[in-house]
Amino acid sequence: MDLFVQQTVNALALGGTYALLALGLAVVFSIMGLINFAHGELMTISGYTLMYCGIAGVPFVISVPLAILAAMVAAVAMERIAFRPVRGGSGATMLITSFAVAMILQVLFQNLISARSQAVMLPPLLSESLRIGNVIIGVNKIAAIVATVLMLVFLDRFMNRQKTGIAMRAAAEDFAIARLMGIRANTVIAGAFAISGLLAGVAAVLWVSQRASVDPLMGFTPVLKAFIAAILGGLGSLRGAVAGGFLLGFIEVYLAAFLPQELQEFRDPIGLGIVVLILLFRPNGMIPSRVLGSVKV
Amino acid sequence: MKKLILTSAIVAAFAAPVAAETLTIGTATAQTGSLAYADAPTMQGMKLAVDEINEAGGIGGTIKIELLEKDVRSDPAQTSIAAQELVDAGVSVIVLPGDSDPSLAAIGVVSSAEIPAISTVASSPTLPEIGGDYMFSNFPGDNVQAAVSAKWAYDEGFRTAWIVYSLDTQYTTMPLYFRDVFEKLGGEMLGESTNTIGQQDFSAIATTIAAQDPQPDVVMTSAYEPDFPSLLRALRAAGVTSQIIGSDGIDSPTTFSLGDVGEGVVFTTAGFATEGSALESFDKAFEAKYGSAPETIYSAVGYDLIKVIEAAVIAADGSTDPKAIQQAMANLENVQGATGLITYKGTNGMPIRQVSLIRVKDGGRELVGQPTPDADLIPAPRMQ
Repeated sequence: MDLFVQQTVNALALGGTYALLALGLAVVFSIMGLINFAHGELMTISGYTLMYCGIAGVPFVISVPLAILAAMVAAVAMERIAFRPVRGGSGATMLITSFAVAMILQVLFQNLISARSQAVMLPPLLSESLRIGNVIIGVNKIAAIVATVLMLVFLDRFMNRQKTGIAMRAAAEDFAIARLMGIRANTVIAGAFAISGLLAGVAAVLWVSQRASVDPLMGFTPVLKAFIAAILGGLGSLRGAVAGGFLLGFIEVYLAAFLPQELQEFRDPIGLGIVVLILLFRPNGMIPSRVLGSVKV
Repeated sequence: MKKLILTSAIVAAFAAPVAAETLTIGTATAQTGSLAYADAPTMQGMKLAVDEINEAGGIGGTIKIELLEKDVRSDPAQTSIAAQELVDAGVSVIVLPGDSDPSLAAIGVVSSAEIPAISTVASSPTLPEIGGDYMFSNFPGDNVQAAVSAKWAYDEGFRTAWIVYSLDTQYTTMPLYFRDVFEKLGGEMLGESTNTIGQQDFSAIATTIAAQDPQPDVVMTSAYEPDFPSLLRALRAAGVTSQIIGSDGIDSPTTFSLGDVGEGVVFTTAGFATEGSALESFDKAFEAKYGSAPETIYSAVGYDLIKVIEAAVIAADGSTDPKAIQQAMANLENVQGATGLITYKGTNGMPIRQVSLIRVKDGGRELVGQPTPDADLIPAPRMQ
């Protein structure tokens, strides 16, 4: 039983990180119809910021907000430089653009920083653990869960109460009508990228605090997971992205924990098989976007 | 102007016979991508050796070495393409990436062109076995490393073990050799876990190991960055107190900068700079050239690679013919490299080299020993 509780905590922590990542993709997709595959590179930028802050001796409590800020600035810059010129383009054009941005950034990291993994200094606290009853929970797991909850609460408030947030929801439902109502397209889209940068930054801090290193290709795996989670939850739906992220985390951790050893090498195919099975029954994802199918795709 | 061109042409023509004494080594290595952690530092060591030899007048005082470099981006298909390009360029020796899988991808090209190929740091003993006469390795084999670490663990009094391995590459299956040797010695395996390379979360594995009662004495893995730091942090956070044993892949700054979590980890690698050793002088020369000490043993192993080629050319009476070099290389004995003596004679291309056991202490290296394992303890190469 203790083992099950503990694995559930692990699943919550991993699922939370996936949820933040998927949410970052979904925020932009819901408005622009763009799946930003350079989302992972925003995480890498955060990671390198953490690394340089560590080398410069900046305290961790300051380097974390700096790292998150770096991802936000990079996301907004990415929109301004790469995505604005192709905004009216087809989905394929934007998709290819995002791949190009990702590759260009990877090559820049490789050539300007290092092709090798760089160590990131982390406070020792992050590798400690707490014992609650018979359950041992790592501090970084607690940090991941708390950060996820905080971000979800913040986003919920922002989307429902703030003017920009409401404008973003309106734009997600029907961009053309929203613009006719006087909502500025540039503000909404830049806002969406800033939010996705924020989510990428927070996810990056959680991601890096597990592995204590950063490398140029670091963004590939998380963006892939986020993509799977976003599809699973329902592309374009924010609630769906969160649900998909958590479900993917649970599938991965429970399979790794409870699948018999003989089947462990088939863990990833089995996990993705479950995802396909869910999509067979709910082709638009678990919580589909209301407007998906009518306006976009 | 015309006269100048003419003059230089004449000079060039006269200089040509001397310039022809060049050994071209083609490198199809992974300077970017997932294998750059090994191949980038290896290349630094290779260049150091090339510069040293050329400054001294070349191999045997006459044959200058020229490197023809290609980056294969850690991609097997690209490795095969780059190898073909190097063959077409007429190189005498080809250097392949530091993992068996991309190296194997180039084997067809290399064998049919009959040009000797040597992998930077691939340590799977299956590589030269599958690769045939023209494929050489340049690192202590996985089976030898595992025999050394298993013997050490057993001698330390550890009796139970758990392995974490990945079937994604040959190298990450090293723990399976460890299991065989450890059981042969009389140790008991409590269990095993598998991971995928690049997997973010190791907490499920860590929690499973922590829940064992009693916990295994030893957890052995050949995961490397970014997986190893992630796994180790997860294990310690989950409350696993076992001795952790790793392999050469973690001989990297990402291991030494882990702080308290990394302390006490023991791993096998290709060398340790004892006082007065060749490795110590290599480290000094490296620092003089690059401005900082080498970050990993791979740089010294890259230096060794060039020394092996140099020795082979000398043994082939200064021939730059690929076939002659291959014959000579297969019979090399006790070549002095930066990490120690290297022998190919009597092997299938997997060199006999010293293995060092190193413990992480105060964020640095501490030598545990440089034992030579009993030949009958070393498991046979495992074909997958």
